[in-house]
Amino acid sequence: MVSKTEETQLNSLENQVDNGGGGAWEYLCLVRKLKVRRSDKVFKYGLSILNDPKKRSALGPEEWTLYEQVAIAALDCQCLDVTKDCIKVLQKKFPESKRVGRLNGMLLEAKGSWAEAEKAYSSLLEDNSLDQVIHKRRVAMAKAQGNISEAIELLNKYLEIFMADHDAWRELADIYVSLQMYKQAAFCYEELILSQPTVPLYHLAYADVLYTLGGLENLQTAKKYYASTIDLTGGKNTRAPFGICLCTSAIAQVSKGRNREDKESPELQSLAATALEKDYKQRAADKLGLLTSALRSMKF
Amino acid sequence: MGLGFIIGVFGVLFLFHAAYSTIQYRGLLKIMEEEFSGPPMNVVLELLLGFVFCVSAALTVPGNFLSIHPDSEENRIVSLPANLDFMIFNHRAKALPLEIDMKLKH
Repeated sequence: MVSKTEETQLNSLENQVDNGGGGAWEYLCLVRKLKVRRSDKVFKYGLSILNDPKKRSALGPEEWTLYEQVAIAALDCQCLDVTKDCIKVLQKKFPESKRVGRLNGMLLEAKGSWAEAEKAYSSLLEDNSLDQVIHKRRVAMAKAQGNISEAIELLNKYLEIFMADHDAWRELADIYVSLQMYKQAAFCYEELILSQPTVPLYHLAYADVLYTLGGLENLQTAKKYYASTIDLTGGKNTRAPFGICLCTSAIAQVSKGRNREDKESPELQSLAATALEKDYKQRAADKLGLLTSALRSMKF
Repeated sequence: MGLGFIIGVFGVLFLFHAAYSTIQYRGLLKIMEEEFSGPPMNVVLELLLGFVFCVSAALTVPGNFLSIHPDSEENRIVSLPANLDFMIFNHRAKALPLEIDMKLKH
């Protein structure tokens, strides 16, 4: 979870390192802590630290974590030779390590030799059949090969054992949304909201899925979840007010022919629209015209 | 940290001294066979002073308080982690060569 202060810290450190101001090690530590995927920069600056023997010895025991981080970044940037060298160094230091075995499996994956990678992962699983990360790597491999149904099956089996793994639920929701199986995706997001009710981004994603499903009840629930997102973020999320405006106009359209009592007060939509206009005026004043015309067409 | 700590120590000493004075005052009243209605005014003043010192030390010594608002800048979640456990390497970077061709030098 990346909070706002951490994001600004990360961006300022990144600017500093990009403009040659030093602080590469702090940047790498922050990237590792926040679990963001900045593989090109990690690769460049991590490798420059590792190639400098003075800086390398200044790291002490953290050197090996840096080797692992650079190895994974090199895989992402497709520099497989660097990964091979890093794995060799790590294997010399930690001969019987599972983590290095996992890195080997990832290298085989990146090379495209799926069968060998599968063999490597199954041998690692034989020693410890409850290794969470290896199970997840097998799911990722199925996804990379394009075999989405097998990925879903593996992920479901994994979630039967490890029901509390939020990342896996989120991954399953993403896969379902990509296949347009929105009801199942809504179920996954409900699990996420149950376990972590204070993360507004889950509420937002759930509301998006419900809005896409459509139908009067789903639209009303989506509006409630957009409202709870606004509540949890203190109004600083831009997508949620848009969601409220769209939901209100969609509800008005769906219930136009139904002649029900209009319980929906139009205040929420006008408040959301005002908040959006204020936000745009502050941050992107040149786009304010677009916004007002879009909002006007939604209100008819 | 040093000043807060010293203030805390003084506060505790004042409290102990006030307690000791009250006990002595009660002993004195027992000798004079009068009723003990309450400690004398200056002991009460010392008690309040010790209380204020202890509370200010307790607030300053442990350091900065963490924010509890969910929408404050430190707590507001801007983006979710990138789910690195499910990272796949089968993406477009294969076709885009990296400009710097670096190698591990040893």
